[in-house]
Amino acid sequence: MVPVENYLALSGILFAIGVYGVLARRNAILVLMSIELMLNAVALNFVAFAVFMDPEQITGAVVAVFVITVAAAEVGLALAIVIRYFRMRATSNIDEAAALKW
Amino acid sequence: MAVEVLWWLFAILIVGTALGVVVSRSVIHAAIFLLVALAGIAGMYVFLTVEFLALVQLLIYGGAVAVLVLLALMLTRQATGGERISLNGPQAPFAAIAAIGLAAILVASAVVTTWPRLVDDPDAVPLGRISEVLFEDFGATFILVSILLLVAVVGAIILARQEDAE
Repeated sequence: MVPVENYLALSGILFAIGVYGVLARRNAILVLMSIELMLNAVALNFVAFAVFMDPEQITGAVVAVFVITVAAAEVGLALAIVIRYFRMRATSNIDEAAALKW
Repeated sequence: MAVEVLWWLFAILIVGTALGVVVSRSVIHAAIFLLVALAGIAGMYVFLTVEFLALVQLLIYGGAVAVLVLLALMLTRQATGGERISLNGPQAPFAAIAAIGLAAILVASAVVTTWPRLVDDPDAVPLGRISEVLFEDFGATFILVSILLLVAVVGAIILARQEDAE
């Protein structure tokens, strides 16, 4: 069995890659995809801890189910907002979405 | 031993495709990289003996989210006249420094820490155990998350609807 440190390191690297994507990307949908990477890293972390340290009560696996559900709801809503914004301004570049008032 | 080799192959695949998501110069390629990375994480759940989560991951991310993202990318396609504009902003080098620093901290703390109560060779997690915890201990949370999902879907429809009256 692969030790828990490997899973934690992998999830840390994935999270950092997601952070880079959120900070560096300009397209709103690409930022959203990076957020999905970060959420998946967190879920993997939860499941690794649950399997290795809480095998009786595996709470972490259940938390991962909730993370996946909330991520699905989030992606649906965010894409709706992006499409709405694109229809209004013909851009999905978050640097241009700087107006606070229409 | 073979499991370890396979694990490292999956880990390299996940990290490689995740890097592809954030550095790819084509939005469609980035979406396909994301799909492969998420499928690789489903493989990680199989290594962790939680097959149920692997199936959920493949169904929701490999199926629904990937299609949704690809569809949104096609709907918000910008006419760039064939030339490839950079998808990363001028802040990308600083973002790389921040991300590498974060990765170093996370990996170092994961490796250095001696984790308490470590099970060396965990048994397979039975599906019945997950359903017991999910529906008994977390029953109220489950209902709340269901309502959240419903509200989010209705909200998404209202937001994305074409309004002729405006």
